[in-house]
Amino acid sequence: MDLIPTYGPMLLRGFGMTVLCWVLGTVFGMALGLLIALVQRYGGAVLRWPLQVYIEVIRGTPFLVQLFLLYYGGPMIGIRLDALPAGILGLTIYGSPYFAEIFRGAFRAVPPGQIEAARAIGMAEHVIVRRVLLPVGLVSALPALVNFAIILTKETVILSIITVPELMYQTQRMSTETFRYLEANLALALFFWGLVEVISRVGRRLEARITRHLVERT
Amino acid sequence: MQAASVEIIEVNKFYGPFQALKDVDLTIPPGQVTCIIGPSGSGKSTLLRCINFLEEYDSGEIRIDGELIGYETPGRKMRARRLREMRCSIGMVFQQFNLWPHMTARGNVAEGLIRVRGMNRAEAGERAAEALTKVGLADKMDSHPVRLSGGQQQRVAIARAIAMEPRLMLFDEPTSALDPELVGEVLNVMKALAAEGMTMAVVTHEMGFAAHVADRVAFMDKGELVAADTPSRILHQPDDPRMRAFLRTYHERNSF
Amino acid sequence: MFSIPVFFDSFAPLAWAARYTLLVSGLGIALGLVIGAVVCILALSRSRPLRFIAALWVSYLRGVPMLVQLLVVFFLLPVIGINVPAIVAAVGTTAIVASAYISEIWRGAINALPRGQAEAAVAIGMRPAHVWRRVILPQAVALSLPQLVNELILLVKASSLVSVVGIMEITRASQAQAATTFRPLEVYLAAACLYLAINLVLAALGRWLEYRMAV
Repeated sequence: MDLIPTYGPMLLRGFGMTVLCWVLGTVFGMALGLLIALVQRYGGAVLRWPLQVYIEVIRGTPFLVQLFLLYYGGPMIGIRLDALPAGILGLTIYGSPYFAEIFRGAFRAVPPGQIEAARAIGMAEHVIVRRVLLPVGLVSALPALVNFAIILTKETVILSIITVPELMYQTQRMSTETFRYLEANLALALFFWGLVEVISRVGRRLEARITRHLVERT
Repeated sequence: MQAASVEIIEVNKFYGPFQALKDVDLTIPPGQVTCIIGPSGSGKSTLLRCINFLEEYDSGEIRIDGELIGYETPGRKMRARRLREMRCSIGMVFQQFNLWPHMTARGNVAEGLIRVRGMNRAEAGERAAEALTKVGLADKMDSHPVRLSGGQQQRVAIARAIAMEPRLMLFDEPTSALDPELVGEVLNVMKALAAEGMTMAVVTHEMGFAAHVADRVAFMDKGELVAADTPSRILHQPDDPRMRAFLRTYHERNSF
Repeated sequence: MFSIPVFFDSFAPLAWAARYTLLVSGLGIALGLVIGAVVCILALSRSRPLRFIAALWVSYLRGVPMLVQLLVVFFLLPVIGINVPAIVAAVGTTAIVASAYISEIWRGAINALPRGQAEAAVAIGMRPAHVWRRVILPQAVALSLPQLVNELILLVKASSLVSVVGIMEITRASQAQAATTFRPLEVYLAAACLYLAINLVLAALGRWLEYRMAV
């Protein structure tokens, strides 16, 4: 118990760092994924192919190896990043193809008739994207987006391996200084368990709120 | 509002090797109701969708008030902007309603006025309210589509089209997705619209509507326009064997 | 600068290390299938406590990052008196984590079957055991195969994390290689290519299975 005054602030900072990485990685990853999905839909075959290769490559390789490439391999081709920006960029890149696939599926699930109806009254394509495709698509993408955002919370711990001082990193520091390896990692596990449960619940609430006009009341 | 005429001249449409429309000729006079009937797969919906170029025809001409739609000159596609201008004066009602689920009834109707006609929100909202009142949905303006019955949704879709003040209305099987008891309310709105002198092209299986409301009935089969004439001549004195066979199945189904 | 010879020279040692990647993910899924089946049975059972245990199992394993679970198991085993090589702990953790996802895949597949089928079997007088063996399981297994292949792909990627406890699989081997050659770019790129190759083969297998099942 006397560990708390010593390590409490450090763990708190670590947690703040975890949240920062998660939020930025998710937001940027989602934005990049959305961009990829839109370009794949409207950009023609010339752009669709390279993007599909990007998606397959990122999804086919471990996040840890991607991080090593970016953080240790990057400087060899002039990309010099500190651990934190490398970690956030890594999360962004890692998440983007999954988000892209979620958006792509959701766009495909938008009933074509709703887009035709917009065309039939003379709406311009970019307005249709903004007013029909995006709002309708985002709603159907929501459960999958929340689900993947939760997966990303768990991936943030891997950033500790490239020395981003997030919660896992600080926990390991504490455990090597106190030799309480098991207790520290067990506490971390329980903490994440609770965190993920809370985020899932908030996510489900959010879904229910956003779709309240879109589903039949039971 | 003045009613438009439609001239369809030798229109052909292919899906790969399959010919969906074969040299179709049809004139829809201004202010009249033309019903297009025929067995499923006969090309009647395809023809209707060619009129506002949602479906691209491959050859021939479709003219709205004399103006070619979809092409600048035969063979050269029209600018997207010009096509949109023409489309916003052609209302269309779909089988599946196709309302936008994230907007209220009023939002659905106002959307085109705001984004296409460039009206401000207040004006568009007022105009939307008028259109919804006209189709008998003054009390459902703030409902989202999931809270509306099929018949109500289809009436919102009609309001969405008429709010744009079209000169021509296209109906693509507007009652086919409805439960039988809801068909009447939609047909009544369409009748009222016809009585106002709107030019209407209606693909339908409602022979009663065709018989009583249409000025002309066109019969299609396998991509060909077999005949277009007054309802009584088409429905009661069909001279083509295909028409007789088609109408016979109707009589048999409805006689009990 | 990027050196193509270094890149190609990296493949041989990494490909040799890939046997541990395949071992961990392959054994992980095999044991995961067994444990997952047990968890799935608990989850579908009529007993509330058993269902609760299954739910807890799935929730914990899906809620906690695999890296953390790995360290928990790694440090827990000696404390409770089990002294096994790191590779056993690595495979065990992988299998346990996989079991949570696999049980959910199976539960989903069983629930996806139309209820009417089981009812039809019961209606012609089949015994419950027969209903399961002859009607439900064959279809559920077929339905779940593509997803299980997908799970295996996830495990191949996740196996990179066991590098942390010292298993000389692809990732650990590439770290060692990068440290001696000072060419991290080429080495990690080669590692990425290896993972990609393994996963592309698995993905092709998954598509083939899906195609076979669809017919």
